[in-house]
Amino acid sequence: MVDVLPSVFLRLKPKFTRVLLAAALVGTLGISAEAKAADDTIVVARAMDINSLDPARAYCDTCQIYLSAVYQPLLTLAADNKTIIPSLAEKWEVSPDVTTFTFNLNPAAKFSDGSPVTGDDVKWTLERLKNVKGSASYLMDSVKSIEVKDPHTVVITTKTPNSELLGILSAPYTGIINSKLASANGANAAEDAATSDTSDTWFLSNSAGSGPFTLESYKADDNLRFKRNDNYWGTKPAAAVVIMKQTADAVTQAQMLGSGTADIAMQIDPDTAKSIQDPNIVFQTIPSFNFVYVAFSPVAEGSPVPLTRDVREAIALAIDYKGAIDFTVGGEGKLQPAAIPNGFPGTSNLPDPETNIEKAKELLAKAGLADGFTLDLTFAAMNVYGIDLSLLAQKLEQDLAKINVKLALKPATFNVWVTDIDKPVPFTIGFFAPDYFGSAQYVQYFGMIPNMPWGTRAGVGKAEGLDGKEELELFNKALAAAIEQQEEAYRALAMKMIDDKIILPLVSPNLVLAHRKDIGGVRYSACCNLPLAEIVKN
Amino acid sequence: MLEVVLRRLFVMPFLLLGIVTATFILAQFTKGNPLVSIIGAKALTNPEVVAAAKKRWGLDRSIPERYVIYVKNLARGDLGVSFRTKQPVLADLAQRLPATLELVICAMIVGAASGLLLGVISAQFHDRAADHAARFIALLGSCLPIYWLGLLVLFLFTVQLPWLPGPGRLDLRAEQIEPVTGFMLVDTLLVDSWNAFVDAALHLVLPALVLGWSVTGIVSRMVRASLLDVMKQDFITMARAKGASATRVLVHHALRNALIPALTILGFTFAYLITGSVLVEAIFSWPGIGSYAVEAARALDYPAITGVTIIGGLGFLIANLLTDIAYAAADPRMRGAAA
Repeated sequence: MVDVLPSVFLRLKPKFTRVLLAAALVGTLGISAEAKAADDTIVVARAMDINSLDPARAYCDTCQIYLSAVYQPLLTLAADNKTIIPSLAEKWEVSPDVTTFTFNLNPAAKFSDGSPVTGDDVKWTLERLKNVKGSASYLMDSVKSIEVKDPHTVVITTKTPNSELLGILSAPYTGIINSKLASANGANAAEDAATSDTSDTWFLSNSAGSGPFTLESYKADDNLRFKRNDNYWGTKPAAAVVIMKQTADAVTQAQMLGSGTADIAMQIDPDTAKSIQDPNIVFQTIPSFNFVYVAFSPVAEGSPVPLTRDVREAIALAIDYKGAIDFTVGGEGKLQPAAIPNGFPGTSNLPDPETNIEKAKELLAKAGLADGFTLDLTFAAMNVYGIDLSLLAQKLEQDLAKINVKLALKPATFNVWVTDIDKPVPFTIGFFAPDYFGSAQYVQYFGMIPNMPWGTRAGVGKAEGLDGKEELELFNKALAAAIEQQEEAYRALAMKMIDDKIILPLVSPNLVLAHRKDIGGVRYSACCNLPLAEIVKN
Repeated sequence: MLEVVLRRLFVMPFLLLGIVTATFILAQFTKGNPLVSIIGAKALTNPEVVAAAKKRWGLDRSIPERYVIYVKNLARGDLGVSFRTKQPVLADLAQRLPATLELVICAMIVGAASGLLLGVISAQFHDRAADHAARFIALLGSCLPIYWLGLLVLFLFTVQLPWLPGPGRLDLRAEQIEPVTGFMLVDTLLVDSWNAFVDAALHLVLPALVLGWSVTGIVSRMVRASLLDVMKQDFITMARAKGASATRVLVHHALRNALIPALTILGFTFAYLITGSVLVEAIFSWPGIGSYAVEAARALDYPAITGVTIIGGLGFLIANLLTDIAYAAADPRMRGAAA
């Protein structure tokens, strides 16, 4: 009986082996032949966060990549990540009072179906962006009217001076849509577009832009395929097809890169990157405009002690900022002084955050809290921009223990955390990535100004020392400033935001862009994330 | 028999309604905000955007109102539109279910075949080195975390030894196959593309191995125990006494009888594999229903959560019905009990 099994196995083995070998050979030959034919195809491994492919409804990091590849805004951002340059508009003029913006469209510009891009398309697109009331509709809040002077001239008037509008009009969400094509498929720009526009589903399988690519197909949770726009009026992209493959795990992304399944991986964290020694993979570590911060809500219920400015400053002084960067991203990050990212208007020569335990203790003693207290820290237990927020919370716990402040860590799912912070909670960890190049979006979100998100959470008008008047005045001044005066105007705002000690930026992590050695033109853009049209396969 | 089936079929819609009601209520009272997946977290601070999104997605209505609308639509076969993918849930499920089933069926074949082989080896070489080795291999599959194992085999067989393709169902750079059944192995043959068939089969190897190995232990243990038990029976001694060869005694007499309990275990492992597929799908970028369910839960995507539960519940009810029918068909004594 003992010899029965081996004989059965031996009888099967040669046949099985032959079948397997044949299959592998045919498969290998077949695949390599097809792969050769697809040399101008670029595969990007990425955890996609798409909420829509409609420019008026989309609002996510992947959406920025998609929209800037398929649609074109009036303006765009140069590779230096700070200069606004022409896109659909070949030139523009701004009135001295910064309320009237005249754009001259490039007459050569045409949509992927060959029809010309006109002023009517611009007016329709921007009015639709406002009226659909999607997440990015706030970009149009300051717009009073849009007038089409002639097919290639559009005049946009703002309600109040808005030096930020040029930056806004370079945001991918303002990409101009072929209005005739989209209208024929359920889109409209009417005031009731929020309910009457039914084109959301159409946009998931069709595109109507003038960008270098068109949408080939989209399978949610699987892949997003771009096809080169053969009617593109600019320099045609080198890649005929770009495929974005849903890859949730950073290690899997790295392995796909190693095996050649992917050409580019976008979310490999610095630790994983350091562990890979493959001569065929290039890692670009680039400073990003994303950042992670901690924030106080002095008016939050459940705070064990009044979170006065002295207490907030004491906590700010107890944080080991450089240590946090080392601890969370292995040193691959930058200090960020204010809640406006480094490199954006108003951030030159700002003082770096300081760590001073003795001074922190003095401030707490002055507030009668020398013996310390326990403070809840609410955060989303997740990884953002390569930072494990749970790890960061533990680092903060260690730092604050030095001044006798005991942090009670309260992790939550992202969805629950988002709901919690609006209660609000006394102390939390948050994160932010820009929608476009411009500092106003940060003041509008983090500024201690009435009705602004963090102004409301911090209790502007209720909390001591936070009346919001000075910041509002500075903000209006910044919006009315000429382009060349913006740096100074936003710097004053940044200094005030630092002084508030409500938002304490902790880490601005570097971005790891990994790609195969034969891939060129990979760069990070503040407006568009990853400009696909610039990627080449050598 | 027919009466039993009809009775079960009659009760099924009511059971489904119970599942729908429970899921609907539980989902609505879960802490969190479904608008996050519709408009994003940042936009939640914009009251105008929030109001428009609530209206558009019916979230401005009361929970009972939403429930009545949902059930009415459900009766027409409409499972609603996913908050997250913005596509009909039915279409989402139709797209993902075959991917998971294909993976799970292949994993089950791997698990059953390897479990059977190792179980037989264990029983035959009872308490000898081969038995220990076979049990160790089977046990390893049950002990190793799927997540870790998945990453390891990907690293070994796609990066270090590039013998097999990486994650996904097909080579992304190759011509895409339009789904007909959603089962890639079938669809590639339907379009007469042998290369694509081989590609799809090769893509299945690693995820099916990882997932299948996780149930090898359960199957092999059951086969081993049953086989050892059967080999002690009188009819085996009789077969040997009659001069049947060792192979014949094993295959025709012992194994056939030992397989019955193992088959029952396979039914249970199917549910286990469906659950285990969630991790495998994440590692191998496999667009199946497991990852869809996880993302739906994470995003509080009510229509998708309820849709997945309905499909799961329906599957469970049908499986139970088929099991009862099969038992009744196999064993006349069970016919009364099934009623």
